[in-house]
Amino acid sequence: MLSEIWTIFIKDLRLDLRRMENFFSMFFFSVIILLVFAFAMPADKDSHIIFAPGTFWVTFLLSGILSLNKSFQLEKENACMESLLISPISRGSIFLGKLFGNIIFIMIIQCLIIPLFSLFFYSGFLDHFFSLMLLSVISAVGFSSLGTLLSGLTTDLRFKEILLPILLFPLLIPLLLASVRIMQGILIGEGFSGELDWLKLLIGFDLIFLIISYLIFDFVAEM
Amino acid sequence: MLNKILGIASIISIALVGYLVFFWAPIESSMGIVQKIMYIHVPSIWLTFLALFIAFLCSIGYLWKRAEIYDVVALCMVEIGVIFCGITLITGSIWAKPTWNTYWTWDARLTTTLILFLIFVGYLLLRKFMDYGEQQARFAAVVGIIGFLDVPLIHQSVTWWRTLHQPSTVFSTKKNVIDTPLLVMLLLSLLAFSFLLAFIASKRIELELKSRKFQKQIANLPQDHH
Repeated sequence: MLSEIWTIFIKDLRLDLRRMENFFSMFFFSVIILLVFAFAMPADKDSHIIFAPGTFWVTFLLSGILSLNKSFQLEKENACMESLLISPISRGSIFLGKLFGNIIFIMIIQCLIIPLFSLFFYSGFLDHFFSLMLLSVISAVGFSSLGTLLSGLTTDLRFKEILLPILLFPLLIPLLLASVRIMQGILIGEGFSGELDWLKLLIGFDLIFLIISYLIFDFVAEM
Repeated sequence: MLNKILGIASIISIALVGYLVFFWAPIESSMGIVQKIMYIHVPSIWLTFLALFIAFLCSIGYLWKRAEIYDVVALCMVEIGVIFCGITLITGSIWAKPTWNTYWTWDARLTTTLILFLIFVGYLLLRKFMDYGEQQARFAAVVGIIGFLDVPLIHQSVTWWRTLHQPSTVFSTKKNVIDTPLLVMLLLSLLAFSFLLAFIASKRIELELKSRKFQKQIANLPQDHH
């Protein structure tokens, strides 16, 4: 099973690396959203610190949607989805492969966005870099579990670009609230210890929806 | 036949409850006459949860047994649930203005109800954006299941986020939070609204079954060549 997941994951990653347009569009989209927020906010440093966590996670959600949208888009060309489904790979492995692809993709973007973000919104270039990366990984798991499931579900639909966020964002409210709250703790220097309850909620959300999405994906990817 | 009985029962019971609410139930001492809106507000949210719970069970049932009737019931229950959820939000706003002096506040239950409303509006949009068929039923069932399972998590998170709503009166462990006549009145109106729910549901299911039968007939018609 691990080798199956690995195959799907490497296939997607290779395709993404060959045509970098997804990567660049997602990266510059995130930069532009950060910029728009920086202009839309009051200019003083204090309010920047207050709004920073919200800004960060809205950017995360909006750019993450791009990664999810492309996730099954590739498979639409040349009836790739059908070939994947008749290949001797279980549905669950396809799901997990796609899921890891999305997580890695989001993490690469976050790697570049976090330093830029701290440059824009508070002075230190690499302040809190590792705690924010860790938090991004934890959130990306929950985000991508539900996101990969729903993106598999909306690929064939009319208006899928609008339907995916409409379905996904309300479901992600617990994840968003927890991430914003934990990030506030990190920014005031408490690290993860300040918001342990929220951290538990976040990890619980990850586990619940990882398992449910894994189990239920079989029904989405029927032929 | 069942339709007719349910229809008559809901008309009579709602008329009776309407009369009792204003001429029998006492006026609540601290909130005054405004509190009467509770007899719509509270049954609506209970029935929202009931309808969405039935939809959840039917979604599981559909994925398990693949019988179309589960899909029909799930669709109708989500539609009814969304309507009752909307009624809850609107009556809640009207009630909140005189008691909390604001139409809307980001309290835990209000927020949960709003998110619940949005999730299942998304469910209905998903159905609208897909062609009628087996795939639509399958995808809708998936959204119905994860949407319902998410509700406890959403509630927990927004409760920690902030809260102002009075704790649930009827399920409270403290004694004598609600006077007996008020409670009796509330249960009566719940009963009346349940008849209404059953009536709308049976009508809507009948309609949906007919419309699907019709759509299948159209799909099977020989193509016209001009």
